[in-house]
Amino acid sequence: MSETSKFGRRSLLKGSLAAAAVLPLSGTLASCASSGNSNSNSSSGGTKSDSNPFGMADKSTVDAVIFNGGYGYDYVSFAANIAQQKQSGSTFKVAPSTQIAQQLQPRFVGGNPPDLIDNSGANQIGFNTILDQLETLDDVFEAKNYEGTKIADTLYAGVKAPGTFGDKFVAINYVLTLYGLWYSDSLFKANGWEPPKTYEDLLALGAKAKAKGKYLFVWGKEAATYYQTLAVDSAIKEGGDPVRLSLGNLEADCWSKPEIQGVFKAMETMVKSGYFVPGGAGTQFTAAQAKWSNDQQAILYPSGSWIENEMKKATKAGFDMKGIPEPTLTANSKLPYAALRSAAGEPYIVPSKGKNVAGGKELLRAMLSKDAATNFSKTRLAPTIVKGLVPADGFGSTALQSQTQMLDAAGTDVFDYQFVNLYGTNPDQLVVWNSFLSGQTDAAGLTKGLQQITDKVRNDSSVKKIPVTK
Amino acid sequence: MTATHDVAPGAGPKRSGTRRRRPLTFDRVSFMVVFLGLPLAIFVIFVISPFVQALYYSLTDWSGFSSGMNFVGFDNYVKLFHDDIFLRAVRNNVELAIVVPLVTIVLSLTLATLVTVGGSGTGTVRGLRNSGFYRIVSFFPYVIPAIVIGLIWAQVFTPGSGILDAVLSKIGLSGFANYAWLGDARTAMPASMFVMIWGGVGFYMVLFIAAIRGIDPEVFEAARIDGAGRFRTAIFLTIPLIRDNVQTAYIYLGIAALDAFVYMQALNPGGGPQNTTLVMPQQLFTTAFTKGQFGYSTAMGVILAAVTMLFALLVFLVNRLTGGSDRKVKVRR
Repeated sequence: MSETSKFGRRSLLKGSLAAAAVLPLSGTLASCASSGNSNSNSSSGGTKSDSNPFGMADKSTVDAVIFNGGYGYDYVSFAANIAQQKQSGSTFKVAPSTQIAQQLQPRFVGGNPPDLIDNSGANQIGFNTILDQLETLDDVFEAKNYEGTKIADTLYAGVKAPGTFGDKFVAINYVLTLYGLWYSDSLFKANGWEPPKTYEDLLALGAKAKAKGKYLFVWGKEAATYYQTLAVDSAIKEGGDPVRLSLGNLEADCWSKPEIQGVFKAMETMVKSGYFVPGGAGTQFTAAQAKWSNDQQAILYPSGSWIENEMKKATKAGFDMKGIPEPTLTANSKLPYAALRSAAGEPYIVPSKGKNVAGGKELLRAMLSKDAATNFSKTRLAPTIVKGLVPADGFGSTALQSQTQMLDAAGTDVFDYQFVNLYGTNPDQLVVWNSFLSGQTDAAGLTKGLQQITDKVRNDSSVKKIPVTK
Repeated sequence: MTATHDVAPGAGPKRSGTRRRRPLTFDRVSFMVVFLGLPLAIFVIFVISPFVQALYYSLTDWSGFSSGMNFVGFDNYVKLFHDDIFLRAVRNNVELAIVVPLVTIVLSLTLATLVTVGGSGTGTVRGLRNSGFYRIVSFFPYVIPAIVIGLIWAQVFTPGSGILDAVLSKIGLSGFANYAWLGDARTAMPASMFVMIWGGVGFYMVLFIAAIRGIDPEVFEAARIDGAGRFRTAIFLTIPLIRDNVQTAYIYLGIAALDAFVYMQALNPGGGPQNTTLVMPQQLFTTAFTKGQFGYSTAMGVILAAVTMLFALLVFLVNRLTGGSDRKVKVRR
């Protein structure tokens, strides 16, 4: 071949082949490339009144994207039907999604986000990245509900806190979630065990369970940080606000506080004494949870109140699930034993650039109505932030009954923190906790690992920090 | 047939600036537009431009959820080289790119040799008896989608209730009753590699069978008459003759190993114990969508692309240095 020209067809083809090899890689991210910034805020329209407090335009369309997780999304469709009757002529579209961040990212960049989003699940959008694109929702709490009462007056105390970042209230968390230890009442009664109140009780109970050939706890690889929640909650109950604020503000040495260290040491003893079902670091979390709810290999599980609904199909008959508050380190803790980490979950947000901001808020108003909220509790066996809608029999669920009792007993001793979700550190923390629970590191190694993760976020100037003051 | 007279290779005069131009007829123009212009346009729009954009985004602090971003220069890259978790992911990827292709190719080459030329030592050269059956069986795994393979093996490896622990306990190996294959830093990576290899061997076996079938059987018979055993035949005859196929397989497998996202996400979505099975695409994914740092994760994507190209280059280079092209010519002539 007499190939004298330096750049012939062959070189071109070679070059394009090389570039084609790169195609799948570059495509992944660049396909989400940002496009123009078109601000089409057309929420003007209807006149504001008690029956239309946000001035939703006549015959407009509302576009909602709902996280389709443990609670499903049909409860929003239920509320949308109610809203449709109130705002006749308008259309409420409710679409499910399991990947909120991935699916909505291009819509946020393109300037046409939905009007209402349930920003929840493993792929939720980090609040610190979209904070300045969200509507404040104070007016929803000020509006009157479908029964004519001011919405704020129908809700549990403290529900505004988890949706407030800095001083901006942008997310209405719909479902009331409380964190505790969950157990089988029938199993405890049959063995004459008492639910533990301190870590000392917990260790004693572990020994008793071991004598019966059972374990105290079980964990799964994707849910190892449930024990972080347990440890942090217990430490906050022990030491009060200083512990919570120092963690929330990512302080140096915040994991070395004596209250946290006390809990870590107690957990280390449990791991070393073999109170955890072995192999959790290699077990999928729902399979692990079934070892507690179905096989009863483990007798306790730290989790949020979604656990009953999540394990509905994998719970032994006659289990009689009940919850108790997380134990305190000692008997004389700053907050009483009954204190709870209770936070509303399932954050609903209304993007400012949505085509129908008023409509998004209107759908929220429908969800906070008595009918829609009762429907949720009844079908999902979990309370919403609307109070007084769960009857004493808990729709026949012992877990729901115990939730009401826990909330009543806690009164105002309710706290919450958000540094994990806010900075998206859960994936990194999972690694450290899996090592700790499987006995590969001790309390000192756990502390070091968690502190490194915290320090990394604190020292990263590109991450926007949201200080916690109260 | 006027347009083809100057195509004959080596026959015409050397190309120079005075080369005669053919007239631009409608046929020629439409041909160029459809077969040259269109693919080129698609290529530029969907391949080149995203790549250039990605390069640009990797130099910004784009959060991914707004259209605003600041240019930060090489900050993201500086940060990457101090990010111990990302460096761990790079290391894991490199380990994968070394082990997975090597083991897969050795295994599939062995199998391919057995079913094509490994049979009886007398008569015509042929494969083992019932080789058709083995071919089909070993192709099975490749028919299953990667995500399903990952999920199946995740179940097999599950401590306590998984088949593997049950079998090991049954044959009397105590200590494996609750062993977490994917949860122990010592075994998580080898177990994951095993799954990837299991999924790939069948396809590459078929690829090599096709290549070996392309060799003239007389060459094998000649070797046998000269007294070469099956192993010598495989090493000194088969492998040199299908060298190009091996190289292609190595590059394909290497790219698959540098990605490995699907397998790892199914086996250990969190990155495994002490991040021992974390791969770059997984870290890229969480950085973008959980942490909202698109600029930073785009930089990870650029590094991933660079590592991939480096890998392909290395394979070509090694092949060239070990005399790949020379020997090919010798054999063909």
